[in-house]
Amino acid sequence: MTDTNAAIAPPETFRAAVWAQFRKHKGAMFGLVVLTLLVVFVVIGPMLWVPEKLKVVEALKSKNLGPSLKFPMGTDQLGRDQLARMMAAGKVSLAVGFVAMMIAIFLGTFVGVLAGYFKRLDGILMRLTDMFLALPLIPLLLVMVMLFRDKIARVLGPEMGAFILIVFAIGVTSWMHAARIVRGEVLALKEREYVLASRSIGASPRRVILRHILPNVVSPVMVAATLGVAEAIITESVLSFLGLGFPPDFPTWGRLLYEGLEYMQLYPERVIFPGLAISLTVLSVNYIGDGLRDALDPRIRGR
Amino acid sequence: MLDRDAPATPRKLVEVKGLKMYFPITAGVLRRKVGDVKALDGISFDIFEGETLGLVGESGCGKSTCGRVILRLYAPTAGSIRIDGTEIAEADNQTLRPLRPSMQMVFQDPQASLNPRMTVAAIIGEPLDEHTQLSKTEKLDRIYELMDAVGLNRNFANRYPHEFSGGQRQRIGIARALALNPKFIVCDEPIAALDVSIQAQVVNLLEDLQDRLGLTYLFISHDLSMVRHIADRVAVMYLGRIAELAPRDALYDRPLHPYTQALLSAVPEPDPGIETDRKRIILTGDVPSPANPPKGCNFCTRCPRVMDVCRDIKPDLAEIEPGRFVACHLYETTAAAAGSTGASEDYERNQQGVSL
Repeated sequence: MTDTNAAIAPPETFRAAVWAQFRKHKGAMFGLVVLTLLVVFVVIGPMLWVPEKLKVVEALKSKNLGPSLKFPMGTDQLGRDQLARMMAAGKVSLAVGFVAMMIAIFLGTFVGVLAGYFKRLDGILMRLTDMFLALPLIPLLLVMVMLFRDKIARVLGPEMGAFILIVFAIGVTSWMHAARIVRGEVLALKEREYVLASRSIGASPRRVILRHILPNVVSPVMVAATLGVAEAIITESVLSFLGLGFPPDFPTWGRLLYEGLEYMQLYPERVIFPGLAISLTVLSVNYIGDGLRDALDPRIRGR
Repeated sequence: MLDRDAPATPRKLVEVKGLKMYFPITAGVLRRKVGDVKALDGISFDIFEGETLGLVGESGCGKSTCGRVILRLYAPTAGSIRIDGTEIAEADNQTLRPLRPSMQMVFQDPQASLNPRMTVAAIIGEPLDEHTQLSKTEKLDRIYELMDAVGLNRNFANRYPHEFSGGQRQRIGIARALALNPKFIVCDEPIAALDVSIQAQVVNLLEDLQDRLGLTYLFISHDLSMVRHIADRVAVMYLGRIAELAPRDALYDRPLHPYTQALLSAVPEPDPGIETDRKRIILTGDVPSPANPPKGCNFCTRCPRVMDVCRDIKPDLAEIEPGRFVACHLYETTAAAAGSTGASEDYERNQQGVSL
């Protein structure tokens, strides 16, 4: 008994195994690199690229310029440097996308697991989900922002206040699909024999859910999450466009896109750059999600 | 194998009395209850310490439900279950939890009974996590010990279930069931999903463990020859009720209940000479729906020896000979011994074919 334990090779840790499989997924590695570059671009970029302050006259002269050495992405209709605005906008857009997605996924998984696992809660929670699905979201968001913007801004400041409010608003209005998917999955999983085995040991529902149900709903949740990031970024730009999101002088990728829309035929680069940034984010997140899902599944990992 | 007799004064480890398990049928928009599926309709039996009780019957007769209700995975509709003297039919989860270690289950489908995202060590260690406060190394020692006991290589501890064959997976399931030193194990068709060669390995492992650890089994199966191999006593179920309960040899040599006779006549015979002469009792019709069982005896719609009384009154399980219980009107009127001999005469030929 004593020597045998030492003789067995130390187990490969879970994280190492997941990482090894993740690296095999070319798309996921590509996505990870692109997303890292985007994050570096929006976080470190503003420190390296400080556009010179233009006087009003200069700014008026240099409005709507195309890409040049001085303005790599051109300027907008007010003569502001697009590159600097892209960086500032990206920080907000990425943060909103990820945080809102996390809120939505957390809520959706929570509601879905409860509804699927506990029969008593199923009716109530799913009707609540249906109700949220039936709500017209834009008017709801409008009311939420109208009611709470000033109150939150007073406590947290206008930018942080707007951020929290928007992230929260997007989160609580986009968890329903995740909840439905998770509930369906849980309904099937809880009848599996390994859940029965766990119950026959006397495991509490909390343990059963954490140990058996949640790890096995990772795949659909991962898919919902990657789609959620894109959706959150787009929803935020819709809100900003309607004047409900961040203050007008506060750039986000969605807002840059909408501002550029008017000038699209004359200055296509005004739309291309923010559009490209959003697309790249969504694409890389999708690939990362794909790779992560594969890496977390031992049946695929073994290969 | 034959001399694995119960001790001289066997103690009842499991006592089941009048156990009923009805699953409600709902219909309509309001999900009103319109009826019950009578999966178990008043069954009673005892299991003695150290013995193996085989539970046989065709698909859908309530065998698996029976096993699960006894472990209180379902809350029974009525009846009493006593395990080691403790009544658990009405107990709630808090009361049950400390009792769980003494009763465990081995499942039918080794693929479905192991979480695909847990390693073998985590699966076998799960009961230890729930019920013991072992340190990490103690737990690992115990896991290795269990893997040795069921014949799994220790190097497999960090692998995942999908990397194993069916037989190995079933060994993992057995190791998990053994983790807490149970007294009583419900084997819910543990060999049904396995190849014949692997079936033998698993059954031998179960017998071996029984000898070493003094386990008591409720062995649920529809494989009559396997039950004959492993069981000490056999209960035959039909449509939620026990038709016959008898010691193994007595049941296989001289089945009393017409259903048992028909069931045993379906067992193929390895010797081709005898096989051609084998007389099968072919039952006609289908099993009635457990939601709407016949008024009298559950078997009266298909019984080759049906009488008028069978269609009106449900027969009770009665002890006809010492240790032999039969639920059939054929044996109620006449004296026990005479009746049984007379009843089995017609089938003598076929029964000889079965007994090897």
